[in-house]
Amino acid sequence: MKKILSICPYCGLGCRFFIKVENNNILGIELYKNGINKGKLCPKGITAIDFIKNKNRLSHPLKLVNNKHLNISWETALKEISNSLLDIKNRYGANSIAFLSSARCSNEENYILQKIARLLGTNNIDHCARLCHSSTIAGLSQTLGAAAQTGSFNDILESNLLFICGYNPAETHPVIMQYIIKAKQQGTKIIVVDPRKTKTSWFADIYLNINPGSDIFLINSIINIIIKNKLYNKNFIYKRTVGFNKLINSTKDYDLDTAEKITGISKDILYKTAITFATAKKAIIMWAMGITQHTTGTNNVIALCNLGLICGYVGKKGCGIFPMRGQNNVQGACDMGALPNVFPGYLKINDDNSKKIEKFWDSNNISSKPGLTIQEILDAISKDKIKALYVMGENPVVSDPDTSHVIKVLKKLELLVVQDIFLTSTARLAHYVLPAAVYAEKEGSFTTSERRVQWNFKAIDPPKEAKPDWEILTLLGKELNLKQINYSSVEDITNEISQLIPNYRGITPERLKEEINGIKWPCPSINHKGTDILHQTKFATPSGKAHFIPVHFKSPKEEIDEEFPFILTTVRIVGHYHTMTMTGKSKSITKRWKEPFAEINPTDANKLNISNNDKIKIITKRGSYICKVKITNNIKPKMIALPWHWGANILTNRLLDPTSKIPAFKINACRIEKV
Amino acid sequence: MKLLINLNNCIACKACEIACEKEHNGISFITVIETDNTALPITCRHCEKAPCLENCPTKAIYKDKNGTILINQNKCIGCYMCYIACPYGIPVIDIKQSVAFKCDLCQKRINQGLEPICVAVCPTQTLVFDDPIRFAIYKKQNAVKNLIRGAKDEIRFSV
Ligand code: SF4
Ligand code: SF4
Ligand code: SF4
Repeated sequence: MKKILSICPYCGLGCRFFIKVENNNILGIELYKNGINKGKLCPKGITAIDFIKNKNRLSHPLKLVNNKHLNISWETALKEISNSLLDIKNRYGANSIAFLSSARCSNEENYILQKIARLLGTNNIDHCARLCHSSTIAGLSQTLGAAAQTGSFNDILESNLLFICGYNPAETHPVIMQYIIKAKQQGTKIIVVDPRKTKTSWFADIYLNINPGSDIFLINSIINIIIKNKLYNKNFIYKRTVGFNKLINSTKDYDLDTAEKITGISKDILYKTAITFATAKKAIIMWAMGITQHTTGTNNVIALCNLGLICGYVGKKGCGIFPMRGQNNVQGACDMGALPNVFPGYLKINDDNSKKIEKFWDSNNISSKPGLTIQEILDAISKDKIKALYVMGENPVVSDPDTSHVIKVLKKLELLVVQDIFLTSTARLAHYVLPAAVYAEKEGSFTTSERRVQWNFKAIDPPKEAKPDWEILTLLGKELNLKQINYSSVEDITNEISQLIPNYRGITPERLKEEINGIKWPCPSINHKGTDILHQTKFATPSGKAHFIPVHFKSPKEEIDEEFPFILTTVRIVGHYHTMTMTGKSKSITKRWKEPFAEINPTDANKLNISNNDKIKIITKRGSYICKVKITNNIKPKMIALPWHWGANILTNRLLDPTSKIPAFKINACRIEKV
Repeated sequence: MKLLINLNNCIACKACEIACEKEHNGISFITVIETDNTALPITCRHCEKAPCLENCPTKAIYKDKNGTILINQNKCIGCYMCYIACPYGIPVIDIKQSVAFKCDLCQKRINQGLEPICVAVCPTQTLVFDDPIRFAIYKKQNAVKNLIRGAKDEIRFSV
């Protein structure tokens, strides 16, 4: 029996465990105590091997012929796909092609897919970070200059206060709860802001059940209290930031009376929150989808940065601005430039930088025009501007808002290629489906939420003809005649990444295999240990200073009216992961988390004459959805919370944040009927 | 060493249930109960005066040298008495084999010097495997720390 050190394929914490193997068979999981998870796992981690040997794994390339998927050879598949891509490019131009990369694939795989897109002459490459933390990237780039968690998980243990806003780790990151609970036992105060009384709020010293969408009002009024009481960090503001006067002016009208009305939080609690936050000396602000998935997502993030900066809670131990990432490599996929507006390493797309990239890749074809985001790609398909879509390890039919619209749009494509491990709802529509290897069947590097780059080791072989994504892409590159896509091992790609991206300069495959617990970027040279805390002496902005940016409260765009009087918000549950492609294959999971329950408040349930476990129909302008009900005071009246794993995006809207283009999953107008 | 519980830590993630069932051929001996705003795992307490043991008609249930309450399946007749007597309803009758099973504190792991798997995996330190005396001291220390901290906070908010 062999024990192979693996990385959990689910969330962004980067938990590790051993996979026990014998003769290419998986015997089980053994806990690994030295990773950030200290041996602990959540229900997804402990079942992370359950889907690997599932009989429905894709194991042959498939082609859609007369509405049926038939087995074809790799050779034919790749030849036909590349002919079709080149043909479409010839007929309609490079920007008629788009690519969706994957936050679940390795750095190497994301790097190579964006490279193929760009060598073909388009920046139409995006991935599902668009749906989760694109607001974070947009917000942090403007304020701090680096789109990443500023400190390490260990800082949680050193902090005096955790300000947890629109983030429910007890459900989404159970393993980080060991840090939070330990901190609490040592006296760290915990403030939780969430319109739902989440499991995380069970641990709160102060819990603010704010009205959905009122985040900026809340934060600006807290900033106002801190400024009025002169509790801000003068020294830090003077030395390390610009724009404080603008912030004072922009927040001075956020008075307590109006704040109480708009946020639903009493003046006392607002005051207590502000004072506790400002006097903590060391605090961490943590957030996730409750902040980002709004039409004001980017501004929500900026507001939180403003709050952290006035107290100087950045760049030192026990402090930080922490966007908590939800996918095993969402940080890495962004770092690798699987985004339409930046090249690898967040290099802005413009003439100078495209020249730089052309030189590095030995190409003359790199576009200096930013490409389209996921939602814009779908729009462009519906307007016949995009004809081919290549999807690696994503399932937009289930993960994107307004499912019926997504399906209708994808059906218009001349070419849809999906590279995945199962025949997902998206793959079902594809002209070609390419069978990929899962995490345990390949090697490569993955970057966690705290910027820690870790090496994933191969435990077993992929089923039949399935191949690692990087291998598939290398073969495709060859078919496309791209001489720059020429790799004989995954390590070749890791090395190229370290040459191109300054923050990854010292992160080589040799080091990653040796330094088993990973290296945190920035790691500028081969001898560099990696960086626990960003912005210690200067910020990553051009001036080296952090920017205060005034932002103002705006009501959510989706209107609540008589016809649709409820606010529907989509949520996650601990047992399942996103579109359930993987967790849905584990019996241990599905028997415990069988079906979705919509949470509604007892007052609403009474009015509608609904009892627990009754079935209801939720109706929005987009569609309707039937599920059972759980009646609970944990949700406010006139609100309904629904896990989205089982396809609730049939209901959600396509309203976007204007900067980050994130869809506003958290606020949808709906009505409820008993069925 | 006893399987002990830190109240108020559990988040009902059920990792313990799944880990236990993977360790014991698909049967979990630990059950997490969630009520409004709190959750708690229920598993065998390995009672000092174990009702299951006292009520077993065939003496299939015994206490080993570490105080762990175990079932000898060769003697068990599947009469459900242990399950009826247990205040927490822990023993499970496996219909196919007609015998009872219960939490064995993960004997395979204990024999290798490891903690029970539910303890090892629990991400919130709800489940601990510890010496009850040491655990009690730790609880007392925490209580004192919290009292002092509480007093300080009072002072801060009264000014
Ligand atoms: S099975 Fe029940 S009665 Fe028996 S030792 Fe365990 S908790 Fe006590
Ligand atoms: S100690 Fe072992 S057998 Fe008992 S509940 Fe925990 S995991 Fe299950
Ligand atoms: S693993 Fe721990 S936190 Fe999770 S349900 Fe079990 S006891 Fe509770």
